[in-house]
Amino acid sequence: MNLTKVKAIIEALVFASSVPVSLKDLAEILQLHEHTVKQLIYDLIAEYKDGQRGIRIKEIAGGYQFVTDAECADYVEKLKKVPRPNPLSQAALETLAIIAYKQPITRAEIEALRGVRVESSLATLLERDLIQEAGRKDTPGRPILYTTTTRFLEYFGLNTLDALPKIEEWTDETLLDLVMNSD
Amino acid sequence: MISTTDHSDHGTYRIKLDNFEGPLDLLLHLIEKAELDIYNIPIARITDEFLEYLKDIELLDLQAAGEFLVMAATLMQIKVRMLLPKPVPDEDELLEEEEDPRLELVERLLEYRKIKEVSKTLRSWEEEGSRYFRRSGGYFPDQEVAAALDMGGEVTLWDLVQAFKNLLESLTPTLELEGMPDEQYSISDLMREIEEKLSRKHEFFFSSVFTGLPSRKAIVTAFLALLELIRLKRVKVFQNGEFADIEITKWEDNKR
Repeated sequence: MNLTKVKAIIEALVFASSVPVSLKDLAEILQLHEHTVKQLIYDLIAEYKDGQRGIRIKEIAGGYQFVTDAECADYVEKLKKVPRPNPLSQAALETLAIIAYKQPITRAEIEALRGVRVESSLATLLERDLIQEAGRKDTPGRPILYTTTTRFLEYFGLNTLDALPKIEEWTDETLLDLVMNSD
Repeated sequence: MISTTDHSDHGTYRIKLDNFEGPLDLLLHLIEKAELDIYNIPIARITDEFLEYLKDIELLDLQAAGEFLVMAATLMQIKVRMLLPKPVPDEDELLEEEEDPRLELVERLLEYRKIKEVSKTLRSWEEEGSRYFRRSGGYFPDQEVAAALDMGGEVTLWDLVQAFKNLLESLTPTLELEGMPDEQYSISDLMREIEEKLSRKHEFFFSSVFTGLPSRKAIVTAFLALLELIRLKRVKVFQNGEFADIEITKWEDNKR
């Protein structure tokens, strides 16, 4: 089987799936090494990108999926006749940001960071499948722990959680000195 | 497609003092606006400005107002502690430095500032993400349902769809004859209804999910509700033998 043929098969597999197809699945089906498949996928991605086409292959949530080109969005929207989902409220977004970085985390811990109650934000995020309950913390009251979902990655077009922007350590060790000396 | 309603922080739930997301947000705004050093906040000045904003709070919502008032109290407490003369240290205690009363607040503000920065990035990704449509079309997690069913074993998604199709065909004449007024059913309503039934009966036949529903639309909605419950692993379906009726049970009850 030559590589052009394999590339065509990969294209077919990604097209046929309604969820992102993982590199592992592709390699298994094709009986090829993952790095070979990855190289071919990247070729494909580049071909779609350079070819001025209306569709792209995108790396989402640890897999590959066909998406429409962003520049066509206004037109595609008319076809679908469904509005885009409402953007998240600022409150929900901040709550989600905290969960993304500090998961698993309890409601009380989120509230301490935001300085406000987050009940309704959590309800929205759960309903939109962006977060999930992930067991309970082993502290008094056994509060529920929250983590982000695969849907979270898809929603923000992320490949893995590692793709989140890096921020310096949340508790700044040098902070104490700074405050002490600023008098 | 499964629609979600955003019942989040819109409307009356949260008072937004000019769109501040809470006391920390307001405080950060005051500091940044005046280009103050966050590590050396002039507490007296900031407290005054903070209180000035609080005058705008209408006591419509005690919860939200409370959050701002707690912060106001914290600020005033810090202010007082900073005004108190420091005790003259004994020679023995020279090395013991007193903790700056602002320390805890500064730490919270720095953390909150990071959250705000990250949420800006998320917002731009959200916007970008809404510009392309995924090959799957709308969000209908058929593959997740299929996966959840796989774990249940005996019934496939195809079986379910087939059973539903047969049921719909057998009911259609009745529905059309009766011409009942179309009540509004949402997927989440019907999910709740199925779960309530299960809490009373532990298991029942597939067809009884749909009994008493007045219209085709309601029946389709009920079927979607069932699929959603399967996907969320809250219910399980199984079949005792090839031609038996499909039965539904709670996920954790099923020990067969």
